[in-house]
Amino acid sequence: MSSVLQTELGRLFDAGRLREPRGFESAAAEVVVEPASLDEIGELVRKCERDRICVAPIGACRTLRCLRSAPVSAGVSLIQMAGVIAHEPDDMTVVVGAGATLAALEAVLARHGQHLPVDPPFPDQTTVGAMLGAAHSGLTRLSAGTVRDFLIGVQFVGHGGKAVRGGGRVVKNVAGYDLMKVMIGSFGTLGIITEATFKLRPLPELYAIAIGYHCAPAEAFETGFRLHDALALLHLELLSPGIRTPLTREGQYLLAAGVGGNRKDADYQLEEIRRLQPGTLILEGADARRFYRVLRDAELPQAPLRMQIAALPRQLPSCLDRPGLQFRAHAAAGVAQLALDDAETAAGIRRAAADARGHARVLSLQPALRGLIPIFDQPPSGALKLMRRLKAAFDPAGIFNPGCFVGGI
Amino acid sequence: MEDGLRGSGIDSGLRADLEALVGADAVVSRRSELKVYECDGWTIEKNAPDLLVMPRSTEQVSAILRLLHRRGVAFVPRGAGTGLSGGCLPLAAPVMICTSRMNRIVSIDLSNRRVEVQPGVVNLHVTDAVRPQGYFYAPDPSSQSACTIGGNIAENSGGPHTLKYGVTANHVLGVELVLPDGEVVELGGPAEEKLGYDLAGAVVGSEGTVGIVTRATLRLMRAPQSYRTMLALFDDVDTATRAVSKIIADGMVPGAIEMMDRLIIGAVEAAFHVGFPPGAGAALIVELDGLAAGLDDHASRAAELMRSCGARSVELARDEAQRQLLWKARKRAFGAVGRLASNYATQDGVVPRTRLPDILREITAIAARYRLRIGNVFHAGDGNIHPIVLYEERDADETRRAIEAGREILKACLAMGGSLTGEHGIGVEKLAEMPLLFSPDDLRVMAELRAVFDPDNRSNPGKVLPRPGSCVEVSAPRRQVPL
Ligand SMILES: Cc1cc2nc3c(=O)[nH]c(=O)nc-3n(C[C@H](O)[C@H](O)[C@H](O)COP(=O)(O)OP(=O)(O)OC[C@H]3O[C@@H](n4cnc5c(N)ncnc54)[C@H](O)[C@@H]3O)c2cc1C
Repeated sequence: MSSVLQTELGRLFDAGRLREPRGFESAAAEVVVEPASLDEIGELVRKCERDRICVAPIGACRTLRCLRSAPVSAGVSLIQMAGVIAHEPDDMTVVVGAGATLAALEAVLARHGQHLPVDPPFPDQTTVGAMLGAAHSGLTRLSAGTVRDFLIGVQFVGHGGKAVRGGGRVVKNVAGYDLMKVMIGSFGTLGIITEATFKLRPLPELYAIAIGYHCAPAEAFETGFRLHDALALLHLELLSPGIRTPLTREGQYLLAAGVGGNRKDADYQLEEIRRLQPGTLILEGADARRFYRVLRDAELPQAPLRMQIAALPRQLPSCLDRPGLQFRAHAAAGVAQLALDDAETAAGIRRAAADARGHARVLSLQPALRGLIPIFDQPPSGALKLMRRLKAAFDPAGIFNPGCFVGGI
Repeated sequence: MEDGLRGSGIDSGLRADLEALVGADAVVSRRSELKVYECDGWTIEKNAPDLLVMPRSTEQVSAILRLLHRRGVAFVPRGAGTGLSGGCLPLAAPVMICTSRMNRIVSIDLSNRRVEVQPGVVNLHVTDAVRPQGYFYAPDPSSQSACTIGGNIAENSGGPHTLKYGVTANHVLGVELVLPDGEVVELGGPAEEKLGYDLAGAVVGSEGTVGIVTRATLRLMRAPQSYRTMLALFDDVDTATRAVSKIIADGMVPGAIEMMDRLIIGAVEAAFHVGFPPGAGAALIVELDGLAAGLDDHASRAAELMRSCGARSVELARDEAQRQLLWKARKRAFGAVGRLASNYATQDGVVPRTRLPDILREITAIAARYRLRIGNVFHAGDGNIHPIVLYEERDADETRRAIEAGREILKACLAMGGSLTGEHGIGVEKLAEMPLLFSPDDLRVMAELRAVFDPDNRSNPGKVLPRPGSCVEVSAPRRQVPL
C-alpha cells in the first residue's frame, strides 16, 4: 500500500479501521477503510475529491475483482455499518445498514416468519450494499422479482460527501425521483450506499421442490416452460450435468421447480408436475429447504471464463444451444450463468444473447483473457450518452470506482 | 391569447412550422378548443396551453421537440388528463403535446409475456387485448378505463392490486424516450436484467419532466386461475383497519384490500345499489387470487380473521357478476362522491400500514376542527389513504378550510413516518410539502438527475421539485374529477 496514502487516510481513520486488503480485496483496493458513520464517509469522500483519490465501496469483492483491471486506492468497507436499524414486523419493512450480510438480515426476519425474497448465492458473504450495487438476484426472481421490486428507500453518500436519501419507509411511495432505481446496479460508480429500506414478504406456508431429469436441454426447457405456464412456480432452475449437486445424475439436466402456498396449493401443483413430467422427484420440509440452499449457491465448474446472459425467456434455450455447455439457468426468467473455455465462444454467446434482445456480462475471467473480451456489452449510443451525463452529474470528480462500468464509465 | 405568449418564443411562425411537421389537423390553436386542456383532475389551477399538438409517431414527436429545442420553447406532455396532482397543467410551457393519437398496441408476445405499446394506449385496453388468452397487465388504477400508459409511467401509478402485484415501475421493462432536444433514446429492454444504469427505472415516476415516452415494453402476467372476493362490514374504521393488519400479519398476500368508510358507503350505495346495509361504519373489499386449489382455505382463513377482529358480516361474492359489481363500486367511488357536495379534493397520503387506525382518527379530528365532511376510500393493504374533502367552492371560507385540512392530513402522514403521495404524484399540488419530506441535499441530487435528461428545464417545467427558496401558494382545492 502506498505509504503516502496511508498516512493521509490515517488522519481520518484510526489504526483499527485502516488496513491492508485481504483475499479478493487486494484485486479491488490498495487499502481498506472501515468508516463507522456518515460523517466519516463524508470526510473521506471530500478528501478523495480534493486529492483525486479513487474509492470504491466494497463487499466481499467477488464482483469487483473481476470488474477492475487495477485496484482503486481506497476500498470502503461498510462492515461497521451493518446493523438492522429498524424492523417493523407488522408493517413488513426493514431498514438495514449496507454492510449487513444477507444471512444476518435473514436471521432477524425469519424470527417473524418473514423474508426479503431476493436470494443471490452465498448470503453469508453478500452484503446488502453489494447486492444493491451489483443488482444481484437469485432463483426466486421468477415469482418475487428482483431487488428493484423490494427496495423502498435508499441512503448513499454522494459527491461533496453529502448523505442523500431517496424513497422512504412506506411500501408505496412516488414522492420525488426514484433514486433507488438509479443506485441499483450502479456498481459503486455513483456514490457509497450506506443504508437500505426494504419491503418484506411472509415466508411461504409450505415449500416443496419438484425435480425432473432430462437428457437434453431443449426438452428440459420445454417442460419447464409448460410448468411455468400452468402453475404459479416460485422458481424454475435448470442445471446442466456439470453443475454438481447431491442430486445430480450423470449426464442429466436437472430441472428444479419450486412450489409453495398452503397444503392444497402445493399438492395440486405437485400433482400437475408429476403428470406433466413423469418420474418427478419431490422434496418437502427440511429436505426441500436444504436443497434450496444447494440450488441457490450452485457453482459453475472451474473455467477460464464465466458469463451471465439475459434474453427473452423463450429464446434463452437457443442462446445455450452448444454441445457440452455448462450452465445454470433461471429458466423462465431468461437469465443464465455459464462456464466457457475461450473468448471466441463467449463472443458467439454474446451475439446470440443480443439477437434474443438481451445482453451478457462477464462474471469472472482468467487474467490472460482480460482485455480480450469486454466485461459489459455496449449500451445503445443514446442511452450511453445519458449514462455518461449521469456519472458526470453524480460524480463530477470522477472518484467513485471509475473506469470499469459500461462504456468505460 | 396574449398573456400566454410570455415571451416564450411562441409566434405564428411556430404554429406554421408545427403544422408543416404534423399537419394542420394535429395542431390546435383556437382558444375555445384549448380550454378543454386547461387542467387535469386537479382543477384548482387552470392554464390553457397556447398550442396543442397531437403527433402520430415517434418521428413526429422527435421533429416537434427538435423544433421546440431550436426555439427554446418549453412543453408539457399529456395523456388522458386524469392526473390528480396537476401533472399536465401548463406552468411555463406554452406547447402541450398530447399522445392521444399514439394509441396503438405495437406487438404482443404472449410466450415471453411482453407487450409493446405506444404511450396513448389506454391502460385497460392492454388487458383487454390479452384477456382472452389468459393474461393481464397488472397495474390497475381506478381510472384505468381512461388513463394512458404514458401517464401511468409518468406517475408510476398503482391501483387496488398493487398490494400483490406492484406498481407501474415493477412492470415497465423498457421505454423509448424522446429527449427534450428531440433525440430518440432506447432505455432498458425486454430482457430482465439491466445493461448499465437503470434509466428506464428513473423515467418511471418522473412526471413528464424528462421528455416524452413514445413506446414502452410492459410485462404481462398470467391471469390467476380463480378469485375469492369478499365484502366485510364493520361498525367503524378503527376495527376495519385493525383487521387489515391482522390479515397481512397472518402471512397472506391478498390481491387487494380496499376500504370505504361510512360516508363513501352511503354515496356508493346510492349510486350503484350494491346492497350495503344502511349504517355500516366501514367496509373492506378483500380479494384473494391464485390457484383454485387452495383458495377456499385462504378465503375462510381471511374471513375468520376479520370476524375475530369484529366484522359484523363477511360475504363472498357469489359469482363474477357480483365480483364485478363490488369492483365497480370501489373504482367509481370518487365519482359517486359527486352526489354529496359540489366540490371535493382527493388527497393521496401514505402511512405505515399499522398506523392506519391512528391516521383515520386524526382525519376525523381534523374534519371536526375544520368543520368539514371528509370521506375515506383507499388502498388499505398498502397504507395508501385517499381522504376526500368535501366543500362548496362558492363558500370561500369553507374552501380555505378544505385546503388547510388537506395540508394537515399530509403533515400527519409524515409525522407517522409516511409519505406525501403513494400514486398521484407531486405535480404542482404538493410542491410546497416536498421540503418536509426531503432535505436540500436530497432535492439537489434529484434536480441533478432530472438535468441529465432535460438540462434546459423545458420538459414540464415547474413540477415535482420546488424551486429552492420559492414559496408555493395554492388558493383553492381541486374540484371533482371528470370521470
Ligand atoms: C377517478 C380517478 C381514479 C384514479 N385512480 C387512481 C388509482 O387508483 N391509482 C393511481 O395511481 N392513480 C389514479 N388516478 C390518477 C390518474 O389516473 C393517474 O395518475 C394516471 O396515470 C394519469 O394518466 P393520464 O393518461 O390521464 O395522464 P395525464 O393526467 O395526462 O398526465 C399525467 C402526467 O404524465 C405526463 N405524461 C403523460 N403522457 C406522457 C408521456 N407519453 N411521456 C411523458 N410524460 C407523460 C404528463 O405530463 C403528466 O405529468 C385516478 C384518477 C381519477 C380521475
